[in-house]
Amino acid sequence: MVVLYVLDVKEFLPIVETARKISDWTVSKSDKGYYRISSPTEIVLNRKAMKMKPAVWYGLFTGGMNGEIAEFGREEVRVIGTNRAL
Amino acid sequence: MQETLHQEARSDSPYTTKREYQTREVDIGSLKKASGDTVQPRLDGVDHTARPTWKLRETIEFYRDILGLPLVHTISARGWGDPGHPDFLHFFFDAGKGATIAFFYYIGSDLTEKYMPEDHHFYSATHTAWSVPTAEELQCWKTTLEARGLTVSPYTRHEILESIYFRDPNGYPIEITLRLRDVEVIDELDAKLTLEAAIQVEDELRTKGDRLRDIDTVWRRKAKLVEEFIGER
Repeated sequence: MVVLYVLDVKEFLPIVETARKISDWTVSKSDKGYYRISSPTEIVLNRKAMKMKPAVWYGLFTGGMNGEIAEFGREEVRVIGTNRAL
Repeated sequence: MQETLHQEARSDSPYTTKREYQTREVDIGSLKKASGDTVQPRLDGVDHTARPTWKLRETIEFYRDILGLPLVHTISARGWGDPGHPDFLHFFFDAGKGATIAFFYYIGSDLTEKYMPEDHHFYSATHTAWSVPTAEELQCWKTTLEARGLTVSPYTRHEILESIYFRDPNGYPIEITLRLRDVEVIDELDAKLTLEAAIQVEDELRTKGDRLRDIDTVWRRKAKLVEEFIGER
């Protein structure tokens, strides 16, 4: 299981919009300003698909990430599950 | 009030005798916190930034004649205060909203290695970002400066800012930036949680004789703090 937290501000909303299109992933919204995105396996995101500029892309998980980054490239990031304590 | 401050300064100049404010290390542990106080003084924006220059003519020509910022004030003085302080010029260019960009030119002094410009993020970190009110104004600065022959960075969109960067003849980095949106309460809260996460993991790793080595570690701790905050556990 991989979980991302995304602050409800417009710069990061493309992550939420992407997540909503993937049936395996679950998106919920807390009333405290964060979206919670979870995937049973992994989370893969593409920068150009989300129309993100590099300076925002490289801060993609600033809302919080429960998982482990397997690859973080200029165009694609892949987060996998981990048992490590947060 | 102003006169009272001045009298105090004259009777016991801090430049010559009470120099502890310049030399004493700041020990956070010994200081009282704002949260435990009943008084909170406020700041009201920028008056001026100041940097040294060893290029008098080029600096004046760059800021006044190339950037087109009015020269609004100059102090010229004999060296005073510190022993060996050179005579100097201190001049100010208008940067809008009452703020100025200031320089010190220390007469007869040479640039030392420590102050030489470097192409390194440690060096570039010390900069001032000057604001513009609209995207049109930001674009106007970029196209105008390029048309005047200056090399300007591409537009860089950060989270809440869009910026352009260039250097002055001293090698100092200058940023001109547009605020893309206001910061909201959730931004403040998120800022607090991110830094709380970073401090926690840094403290824990230091205790183990290690150090914080990547942002992933911060993001993972942040997830824990956000989970607790929103009660998802």
